[in-house]
This record gives sequence, C-alpha cells and structure tokens, in this order.
Amino acid sequence: MNGDFFNEMKNGATLRPEYQVVVDWIERNGIDALQSRRAEAEALFRRIGITFAVYGEGGDPDRLIPFDMVPRIFNATEWQKIESGSIQRANALNAFIADAYGAREIVKADIVPEAMITKNPAYLELMNGYRPPLDVWAHIIGVDLVRTGPDEFFVLEDNCRTPSGVSYVLQNREVMSRMFPELFRDGRIRPVDGYTDFLAEAMQAVAPPNCTGTPTMAILTPGQFNSAYFEHSFLADMMGIELVEGPDIVVENQKVYMRTTRGFEQLHVIYRRIDDAFLDPAVFQKDSMIGVAGLMDAMKAGNVTVINMPGTGVVDDKAVYTYVPDMIRFYLGEEPIIPNVETYRCDQADDLAYVLDNLSDLVVKEVQGSGGYGMLIGPTSTKDEIKEFALKVKANPNNYIAQPTLSLSSAPVLAEDGLIPRHVDLRPFVVSGATTKMVPSGLSRVALREGSLVVNSSQGGGVKDTWVLNAGAV
Amino acid sequence: MLSRTAEGLFWMGRYIERMENVARLLDAGQRLESLPKDPTQDYNEWSSIVVASGASGTFPTALEDADVAAVSDHLIRDISNPSSITSCIEAARMNAKAVRNAITAEVWEAVNDTRLQLHEHLRVEKDRENLSYFLDWVRNQGGLALGKIENTMLRDDGFRFIELGKWFERADATARLLDVKYHVLLPEATDVGGGIDYLQWVQILRAANSAVAFRHLYSRVVDPQGVVDLLVLNEKSPRSLMTAMAEIATLSDKLASELPIQQKLASDARNAEATLRNTSVDAIFEHGLHDWLTDFIAATNLRAQATSAAFGFGVDYPPATKETVQ
Repeated sequence: MNGDFFNEMKNGATLRPEYQVVVDWIERNGIDALQSRRAEAEALFRRIGITFAVYGEGGDPDRLIPFDMVPRIFNATEWQKIESGSIQRANALNAFIADAYGAREIVKADIVPEAMITKNPAYLELMNGYRPPLDVWAHIIGVDLVRTGPDEFFVLEDNCRTPSGVSYVLQNREVMSRMFPELFRDGRIRPVDGYTDFLAEAMQAVAPPNCTGTPTMAILTPGQFNSAYFEHSFLADMMGIELVEGPDIVVENQKVYMRTTRGFEQLHVIYRRIDDAFLDPAVFQKDSMIGVAGLMDAMKAGNVTVINMPGTGVVDDKAVYTYVPDMIRFYLGEEPIIPNVETYRCDQADDLAYVLDNLSDLVVKEVQGSGGYGMLIGPTSTKDEIKEFALKVKANPNNYIAQPTLSLSSAPVLAEDGLIPRHVDLRPFVVSGATTKMVPSGLSRVALREGSLVVNSSQGGGVKDTWVLNAGAV
Repeated sequence: MLSRTAEGLFWMGRYIERMENVARLLDAGQRLESLPKDPTQDYNEWSSIVVASGASGTFPTALEDADVAAVSDHLIRDISNPSSITSCIEAARMNAKAVRNAITAEVWEAVNDTRLQLHEHLRVEKDRENLSYFLDWVRNQGGLALGKIENTMLRDDGFRFIELGKWFERADATARLLDVKYHVLLPEATDVGGGIDYLQWVQILRAANSAVAFRHLYSRVVDPQGVVDLLVLNEKSPRSLMTAMAEIATLSDKLASELPIQQKLASDARNAEATLRNTSVDAIFEHGLHDWLTDFIAATNLRAQATSAAFGFGVDYPPATKETVQ
C-alpha cells in the first residue's frame, strides 16, 4: 500500500535471476505476443470448461477465474522452507485434531483451553472418541501463506475442512505448458503431475478396517450447481473414480453403497466436498438434500472412511489458529518453520482494548469466517465503516481476531502496456495418508485491483501458475 | 456405471433427438398450412402440431386459435413447455454437464455450443424472422451432436444409454408425426392418389425426410399404405418404428446384466420387436391407424419407464437390486 512491500521479481533495483526467463521472453516476443497468448489461454479455459459458478448476480453463472500469464517463481531454497513448514504444520494440525477428539493431552498440559475445543462451533461431539484409520483426520490441508520479504513467510490461515483450488494448480500448469513449451523444455521447472496420484494413494491407505480388498472410492459432490463442481469432476476423472451425489448413495446395515446400472456397489472411501452440516441428515441438518443418511453410523462401524473427517473444522477457527505454533512444539517437539501472523484475540481484555484503539491499522476477521467475507481492512476502510465494525466487535468480542496489516509481497502481472506488481498469496496443498506429501506448487492468488489485499476468487481475485525450480536451476 | 450417469446419458440422447423432432413437426406444420384448401372443410394443422408434440397441456390459448406465431413460440421459446426446442437444448446441456466425465470433449462442445448459439438466435429473433432457417439450424445442430456421439464415443454402456434414449425418442416422434394426419383431417379411402389427402401424406413424408426414400423404395405414387409401411414397418428407414424397436431390443440386450429385472426387460424388447415384424399394413388399418399409433405410443412409454426402473434411474424408482456386483 505504501509502496515498500517486497516485489518478488526484484531485489532492490535489480532483477532476481529466477525471473530472467520472463523478461527474456517478453524482450524476444513483445508484450503484445503475451497479450494474444492470454486470449488463447482464456479460450482454452472456456473450452475445457474450467469455470466456477456464481449464482444470484445475473448473467452467465459460469465464470472464468481471471488467469494471469506471468508465472510466479520460487527457487529450490525458498520452496524447501515452504514445503517443510507446510508439512510440519499439517502434521501438528492432525495431531491436535486427534487429541481434541481423544485424550486432550494438550488441554491437560494447560496449553490450549478446553473451551477452544468444546465451545468451537465446528466441534462435533459425536466424533469424540472416534479414531480414523492411521489417525489421519485432515487428509487434505490448504495452508494459506503470505510473504513479506526475501526470507519472510507467514501462515495466514489453515483450511482443514474441504479446501478447494487444487484443480487450478494443475490446469494452470497444463495451459502454461501449452502456451510456452519452450520455457518448460529444459526441465528446470518441477512438474505438478503427481497430485492426483498422491491423493488416490492416500485415500487407499486410509481404507476402513472392514475393507479387505482394494477399496472402492468416490468423490461426493453437491452437484453441478456448486461453484467448485468443475474441480470435483476433474479430480474424479483424473483419479478414475466415480463422482457421486447424495441420492446415488444408500446406507444399509451400516454399509455404504452406490446405485449402479448393475446393482449396488459398496463404497469404502468417500472424499466428500460437502460441508459437515449437510453430510448426514440423520445426525446433522435434517433437511439436507445433498447428504447421505447413515454415513456417520457406517463410518463409526468401520465400513467407510470419510475424507476429510467430520469435525476437522475446529482448527480452521482463527482463535485456535493462534495456538498452532504451540501445537507444533507440543506434538512434534520442533520450532515452527513458518510462523503465524501476530494475532490479537478479542476475547482477551488487553487485546480487545488494543484492537479497538487501533482499528484503522488492523485487519479484523470473524473467527469462523472464510472467503474474504465479514472482515474489516482498517487502512482501506472509511471512518463510518470502522465505527460500525467496532460496535460489532464490542457486542461479540469472542467472534473476532485482529492482525496487523502486512505489507504483502507482490508479483508481476500482465497489464495493458507491461508488467505491474500486484499482491499475492500462496495456498499449497498438503496430502496426508501413510505419509505427508506435497506437489511442488500451489495456488497463487493475486489481487487484481491496485493496492487490494483481497485475493479470494469470490472477491475478484485471479490466479497464476506457480513454478518451483530444481536445485541449481535459476 | 452409476445409475444417475446412465440416466443423464439416456436423457441427453432423448433431448438431442427431441429438439430435432420438434423442428420436424414445425416444418410439417408450415408445409401443411401452405397446401390449397377446400373451403367446405375445417382445417387445423397448427392445433394438430400442438397435439402431436404432446404440448396440448401447456399451450397457453384455446387449441382452435393456434396459428404459426403462437405454435412456433410455444414449441421454440416457451420454457413452460418441457418439450420446446429451448427446453430440449437446456435439458440436453444440463444432462451433458452432469455427465461431463462420461462423454467426450467433442460431444460436450457440440451440446454446449448449441446452447450458446441458441441464445444468440433467440436474441436476434431469428426464429420469428425466418422460421425455416432456424429450423434448419436446429436440425443441423442435432445432427452435429449425434454425429459427435457416433464418431468419438467409446462403444461401451455409456454410448448405449445415449443410443437407447435416442431410439425411444425417435419411435415416439415418428408415431406422433404419423398421427398428425389423423388430427388434421380424417383419411378418406376414396381420395387416395390425388387431392388434399394425397398432398397431406406427402408433407408428412417430407417432414420425416422420407419423400425421396419413398420413391426409391416403392416406385409409386404416395399412398397411405405406402407411408405407413415406410414409417412403421420398413427396416430400411432410419426413422421407422421397426428400426427403432430393433435398436431398442439390441441395446437392451447388450446393456442387460444377469439381474432378473434387466433380463426380463431385454426379452420383452425382443418380443415386441418380433410382434412388430409380424404385423402387416392391412392389420394396422383394420385396427384403425390412429388407435394403433395411440397403443404403440403408450406401450413405448411403458417400456421406457421399465427401462428406467431396471437400471435404477431416478430416486422414485426402487433400486435395481440389493445384490452386490463385483
């Protein structure tokens, strides 16, 4: 905002060597060539059908996520930190969820207050005492990272429910490699192809105890009107498994079946892309039309594994977030590789007072909020907006946390007459089964308006391909 | 294959075929309307088109007042009519999107592009300004989609469910097209070979794209017996009921697993095919063409419902079986 944020393309006034290829390409072919490649890329996205649906705003509900043609590039050293830090975090989060629904050692050790678990809206009493295969609760975790300097990364939030966006990582790469084959030719960019194999492998590894043969797996989608339907269908296709909807599934004798043209076929592992509340009308929201009645019962009987496990949302809570560094120390005996952003918890009197005094400098978020909704960005808000938000915080302080406005790093994006810097974040996807793995890339989301810090696609953000270079390659 | 996927493919096939057939019916209406009239008779070609398309329930005004503008609006634009061309294209595309992983990119693009172009045609009122041009476009898009299915899909159960939907729809549509003649004007046995009755039969043939085929196959002047033979019993015609029933029997046979309900479906289809094969034109006229067609349409409808039940379509139907298939 004030102009002194870290520009990932530059080191002071000099170009960072990782971005030399981009500058060379533009010098060779001209900025107009890049513009026309962008038009080609958009046509490709539309043809393949990579869209997300926005309803209730009029017009064609199938929208393209704005795709920026300039890749975001990490070198091997930077990636080593991102990868080890994200995997460390994922392991600690899984250990915490297991503990929260188990012995609660971390509560006994006076590190996390019990209320953080039991008073958490995402806490599910019915999961208490349950032990999933391999003790993995969140098989897919999206860790949202921001960068403020050459070596400064922070975790902004954790997504352990059903994080979305990985299909863009894979498709952005597909489109980029078609548009710029010459840049990929020498093998310096690490491929992202393994993601669906990792995922399928993890899903197989957590087959339920009563499944003796090869597990039958499926993705459970709310259907084609869901905004992420393309991703559900893409992942099912890539893994060669069925894409099922609630009405396709029947539970009988605590076993889960899908209705096929040749009769009932038993399902063992379900990667659900439906929120907990709608998952099983027998125990959650009774009127859910998209869920599967009896699924929880079948899961507890050891006949099916649900991915991610219900109740993992306890760690998405932004108040619980503040304890994650302590969780890493407690469960893993390690120091956090990537720190949290400094966070004020409005349920604490001192923090609340500080937050209310400094609203115009802070970002205030709801503890259970997501998607960039229900938040206040102090520095870009009007006095009236701040006043109004202060009332909300005072009325219900437990519901809010606040963080300083970070000077988010920027990456170059293509504009009318050249490259301009825009703020970016990064969501790598960590997959946990028998082991914890990541593909060397992530979803780079970019704010397309000048100065904007909001990168969510529901708020007009765009995406970029994210390159990780091999060690030694610059 | 998931029952829902099979159902989506089946209905995608039906709706692609239906949009083309609705266009054929409208074409027949235009042709019938342009015939010279006998001033002592009442003509109602447009209301007969509404009846034949199965839209008499949704048609907004009294059937007697039906004219080209009202009928084409109802059969092309009206989304309260589930069989209007717009509804068919939307439904075909909706089903295609829901089974996107089970069809090829080329099939998806053909169906998706049809919808995009339709909206443009409706916006510039192409259907109102130049009905024939628009109807040609609809038939071309139907042909394009069916060609993409034929040329790019694996020959597996998915392909067969699309084909099954197409043939059920075509059987129904050809029977209804033949029945238009009954609703326009009762046939007069003495009038064969000339006059209005002859001309009406010729228009029915044209709408089924079969006027030239008639010449090739029968080498005689168009007569009701010939038209019924061609469109009901002749296996050489791609639009005849015989061809459709033979395809339905073969497809039902290939799709059937060892499940008893599917075995029964296949054997019923083979029996129906054999019965039709042993029917003569004379027997149909003796029974009364209109009554015979009405029975055929009802029986085909029941067979389509039995197919839905056998493969577990729809949440209202009991699932095919509770046995697990490995």
